[in-house]
Amino acid sequence: MRRSSRHRHAFVTYPLLFLISFIGLLPFYWMLSCSFKTNETMFLMPLQWLPHPVNWNAYGDAWKAQDFTRYFVNTAFVAIAITVGNLLLASLAGYSLSKFRYFGRGVLFLLILSTMMLPIEVTMVPLFLIVKKFGWPNTYEGLIVPFIVEGFGVFLMRQYLQSIPNELIEAARIDGASELRIYAQIVMPLCKPALAALGVFTFREAWDMYIWPLIIVTKDSLRTLPLGISLFMSSFGTAWDQLMAVAAIGTLPMVLLFFFLQRSFIKGIAISGLKE
Amino acid sequence: MSASGSTQSRLLRKPFRLNIARKQALFAYAILLPTLAIIVIFRFLPMLQAFYISLHEYDLIRPPTFIWFHNFIDLVQDPLFLNSARVSVTYVVLSCVPVWILSLALAMLFNREIRAKSLFRSAAFMPVVMPAVVNAVVWTFMYHQDGVVNTLLEWFGLDPIPWLRSSKWALWAVILIGIWRATPYYMVIFLAGLQAIPQRYYEAAQIDGANGWCQFRHITLPLLKPTMLLVMVMSVIVAMKVFAVPLIMTGGGPADSTRVLPLFIYQTAFEFFKMGRAAAMSVFLFAAVMIFTIFQIRLFSHGEDV
Repeated sequence: MRRSSRHRHAFVTYPLLFLISFIGLLPFYWMLSCSFKTNETMFLMPLQWLPHPVNWNAYGDAWKAQDFTRYFVNTAFVAIAITVGNLLLASLAGYSLSKFRYFGRGVLFLLILSTMMLPIEVTMVPLFLIVKKFGWPNTYEGLIVPFIVEGFGVFLMRQYLQSIPNELIEAARIDGASELRIYAQIVMPLCKPALAALGVFTFREAWDMYIWPLIIVTKDSLRTLPLGISLFMSSFGTAWDQLMAVAAIGTLPMVLLFFFLQRSFIKGIAISGLKE
Repeated sequence: MSASGSTQSRLLRKPFRLNIARKQALFAYAILLPTLAIIVIFRFLPMLQAFYISLHEYDLIRPPTFIWFHNFIDLVQDPLFLNSARVSVTYVVLSCVPVWILSLALAMLFNREIRAKSLFRSAAFMPVVMPAVVNAVVWTFMYHQDGVVNTLLEWFGLDPIPWLRSSKWALWAVILIGIWRATPYYMVIFLAGLQAIPQRYYEAAQIDGANGWCQFRHITLPLLKPTMLLVMVMSVIVAMKVFAVPLIMTGGGPADSTRVLPLFIYQTAFEFFKMGRAAAMSVFLFAAVMIFTIFQIRLFSHGEDV
């Protein structure tokens, strides 16, 4: 009986799965295929699913129109710096909050936790004024430092570290290892899965950052890819082939990240919703 | 300090051990300090400062003048602000409710045994992989009058829709993208929640002859309740801060129909340089987010020794 019901389900399940895949992939596919179309075939009726003739120039032309190499390097640098910072600082803070007892620990953890969901959209005006006071508009510091650690990462690392047995740390102490060495050589290697998930999650968010660079950056040499793409759209709005080309380049690192680190990518998102 | 500690240690064993504990506590403070400093300076201080600035008139050039609650009084009478708040609430409600239903449904679908599961799941997951700005750009192209969305509508015999040019449809266009992008994200969270439910509950239910709906109603739903609460809170907060898509696609138009609150705050502050007024608006947004955050902290710290 279970078999037959499963067979019946298959008639619904697989068409449904194809529909979902179609909806999920359509914008991605459309972006790619239209980056190879010419402006004549862009809106041709009926729709052209495969570009014909193939326009190979969109990527090169777009790259020449604006300094996308610079934007790409800027984004990569900022995203990597933010990711490394988050991994280091959040793991240190998480280690401190989970494996040591000291005065004020609970309050400090609550303080960090309470900023976890505070969106930058709420604090953008004062944050801008503070960063301006530091003299950081149009600098890499201004792009990186305010996001170099987040409450979420601390929370995640603390949760994960709690599952590591205290006996391991105690044993290392008895062997005479220094505290920093215990952190670096005993605790961190055990945290690899959590670090991988947090790293991929943070990198994705940093690559996506838009509102903050928009506020803090006015110089072309500091623009990130999202800024460059939106600027390209407002200045060359009808050059759709080139616009799709730069959009595809902006997506490529995320696609690579997803395919090579799929497990950590998905885990990072799954734990962003974990209660325990 | 260490000298007095070592003299005491000769007399008593306990203070010596306390000294080690103190050293460890010092280390613990030291490694927490950088994080604490960043969070206080760039998260906590701005939060407090938002209230302070909201009581001032400030254009970044002249020094700020203290004007009591005038910004707030002006705001509640400003039709543009009220409209913006209404647009935000509409966006949150109309994007979140479908996301809850669809993401749970998708998670249940992917929790079954299906062939080529990871392939289908990757395809469904694609919206999360694409950056927000790329989304905005690509969907603007797809919502074009002769674009692919209208062509698909034509397949079903529907008339083309002037998506981004009509104040009636533009918000719907933004909402559809919100649903498209958020659904796979929360699907992953639901999937993690579903996989945490022990399989033997379902086996026991099958032996008792419970049908699919019965199992869903009496096993899945109750055990998934914490996950559901969490997805609800998270999705509402995320929806409240939607920004890139409306800014790039419509700039808030046509006729202010897509000017969500974060977008309006940004424009007030960085296009019209009314810092005080923008800060007052963010206080409203802050209040809304805070209600949900408190709710979430209670969820997160439930049963913990905080």
